[in-house]
Amino acid sequence: MTMMNLIKEEIVKVPLVSDDKLNVLRELVQILKDAGQIEDVNGVLSAVQEREAKGSTGLEDGIAVPHAKTPAVGGLKLAIGVAPQGIDFDSLDHKPANLFFLLLASPDSAGPHVAALAEIAKLSQSKSFCRAMAHAETAAEVVELMTGE
Amino acid sequence: MSDLVKRIMVYVDGTEQSVTAAQYAICLASFSHAQLIAHYVVNTKAMDDLLKAHIFLQDEQTEYEHDMEADAERYLNYIAELAIKKGVSVTKKRSKGSVQREIVDAVKDMQVDLLVIGELSRIRSRRDEFYDETDRAMRSAPCSVLIVKDEERVWNLYESLV
Repeated sequence: MTMMNLIKEEIVKVPLVSDDKLNVLRELVQILKDAGQIEDVNGVLSAVQEREAKGSTGLEDGIAVPHAKTPAVGGLKLAIGVAPQGIDFDSLDHKPANLFFLLLASPDSAGPHVAALAEIAKLSQSKSFCRAMAHAETAAEVVELMTGE
Repeated sequence: MSDLVKRIMVYVDGTEQSVTAAQYAICLASFSHAQLIAHYVVNTKAMDDLLKAHIFLQDEQTEYEHDMEADAERYLNYIAELAIKKGVSVTKKRSKGSVQREIVDAVKDMQVDLLVIGELSRIRSRRDEFYDETDRAMRSAPCSVLIVKDEERVWNLYESLV
């Protein structure tokens, strides 16, 4: 099941308006709150920040994959954000991040969480896809790029 | 008719869809007097990929593997309870590795006649990067495959089984 069933326009935000790491994490969590998928914003944000403190989830080529296990969510939750301006995310290549995949899971959903993260890892290997996503101008465009339809 | 299906394997991955599949498999096993195997794969291949992609830290990989082992125990025990309630015995199987590979190997090794899996995503992306390991297992399994849908109907079927 994993990723495909999670991709809807309501969990996508284009453009993100934050200009630093702390605020973009909050903005990504807020996407899920606004979509009615979580209640406890602070609880979720703490879990995400705790994971970031162990090591940045900023990868190469503008992609970041913040993630966390937390009892503050049920099952698996995904939020996607595009920041055309780029945000300093302490990424591996020291470049700004433009494309964010926030993936959260309840502690008893390790299997689906791992599977979904693995799908994102595969996506991140496609430079052309990531470039197209980072230039998307609407949530609809992001959904179309993800589903390939 | 009882020779139609001798050995059923249901793949359990912690999703609601796989639990529904297990309920249906229990009903099938009851009706056909087939042996039932519940199989959970700890997806260590995906975790290795996440480590290589720098999405996972080393400690994180260890932690998630431990979590998945615990999930395997929990879900397999739950399936066993569901089966016992309906007088069906189930063999619990747990393996580690690639989901597709482990399912296919288990089907061959245990001479499974029918693989039962939960409903797959209704959206099938045309992107090659998106793939569902269960989908791949379904396509490469050397036995018949049943995809279980309609959770409500399956629940009613299971509940009515005596």
